[in-house]
Amino acid sequence: MSGGRFRVCEANELAPGQRLVVDLGGRSVGVFNVEGSFYALHNRCPHRGGALCLGPVTGVTRSTDDFEYVYADEGRILRCAWHGWEFEIETGRSLADPKLKAKTFPVTVEDGEVIVHI
Amino acid sequence: MIDCDVHNQWPSAEALLPYLEPPFRDYLVRGEIPGPPGSFPHGHRPWLHPEGFKRSDVPAPEDGTTEDHYDALRAQLLDRYQVDYAILTGEEAIEVSTLANARYASALARAYNDWMIDEWLPRDGRLRGSLVVAPQDPRGAAKEIRRVGDHPGVVQVLMSTGSERPYGDPFYDPLWEAAAELELPVAAHLGGQGGINANPTGCGPPTFFWEAHALFSETGMGHVASVIAHGIFERFPNVRFVLIECGVAWLPALLWRLDADYKALRKETPWLTRLPSEYAREHIRLTTQPLEQPQNKRHLWAVLEAMSGGEVLLFASDYPHWDFDDPTTIQLPETWEGDVFDGNARDLYRLPAAAGTASAGEG
Repeated sequence: MSGGRFRVCEANELAPGQRLVVDLGGRSVGVFNVEGSFYALHNRCPHRGGALCLGPVTGVTRSTDDFEYVYADEGRILRCAWHGWEFEIETGRSLADPKLKAKTFPVTVEDGEVIVHI
Repeated sequence: MIDCDVHNQWPSAEALLPYLEPPFRDYLVRGEIPGPPGSFPHGHRPWLHPEGFKRSDVPAPEDGTTEDHYDALRAQLLDRYQVDYAILTGEEAIEVSTLANARYASALARAYNDWMIDEWLPRDGRLRGSLVVAPQDPRGAAKEIRRVGDHPGVVQVLMSTGSERPYGDPFYDPLWEAAAELELPVAAHLGGQGGINANPTGCGPPTFFWEAHALFSETGMGHVASVIAHGIFERFPNVRFVLIECGVAWLPALLWRLDADYKALRKETPWLTRLPSEYAREHIRLTTQPLEQPQNKRHLWAVLEAMSGGEVLLFASDYPHWDFDDPTTIQLPETWEGDVFDGNARDLYRLPAAAGTASAGEG
């Protein structure tokens, strides 16, 4: 596997709410457009190695003190394709286990192109 | 490696139509079903999975043909992990146990078995089938075991852990007699928690899916106690009972309690000649998935040692379900791997030493 700068696509080819899962230097990476901002995550779940980036993008029931359901962060949560563990797309933070974090990669948009830095 | 819980999907329950006898084909075509066209007739459990119960990187049933589902299974499981044999456990077929109409239930089980034998076993030399029966119809189940139980690709009898009553009950004698006659293990897979079947928890129904799912293992406990106490293994010494997907770490605690209570009250079951734990070790096998995941694996291993885990456990992945166990990441003592990933199932199902193109790896 090699690192470096990887051009993924034109920014206007990946609309808000969409994703691409691509091979970048031998590493499977999911690139997400969340409300106009781009994020990249390693397509390997830190829980059991599942295909993290093939899972659904959802919202989450926010923690509450009142035993009620409050749906929040719609479109910002990635749920692993295997066991359904939830991760924040922006940070890779696991909602199930604070000690776990999905690997994220910096993304820039340069001259209209989405670049992932590995 | 042998995977003892692999679910073979159909595109729709309508795949069974060519295999159903006319009155029941009419029932499936024209009758009520619990969902859109293609749904399988069953009494659904009262807990609805909040995400669907499949891995989301696996094609949904309606998005592929049987061949597509086989192709996914081959790529994502058989080839990826070099599986020598996969024991097919159907998908919704065991839910026939929930139907009040036991004759319809048995007809659906027969159709599933013929579909599985026709449409799955010939695809790959690594596949072996489980014969699904409707336990609420013990005579029908016995007839079905005698009809196709000697097919070379069939390795066990299968029903759900959800049941009207525990499986040692003499009500089920015809089923056990037939399995013993054909020398087939009898397996119970987690499921069938609806319709006519008893509540899986004695204190009343849990509320949430994850709460209920963790507690379904209670049905496995009930069957273990029942088949031992009723002397199934005294009457049918060649029979093995396999619990699939019920968890495993509860077994030693249950057996300690059963042994103690049996010693005090053995006069209730004078047909028994050994301790419950001794019957269990020889006759009961448990599949690993979903293997308990404590913070410290040594805590689990101590419990597994107490139940002779190296002898009684069978590796299972539960592909393609949401609680899939990856054989490369589950944690078992290294010295057990040859037996748990391979040897125990090879003995139980009398599988040849090597098959197809796969290696004889130990996982």
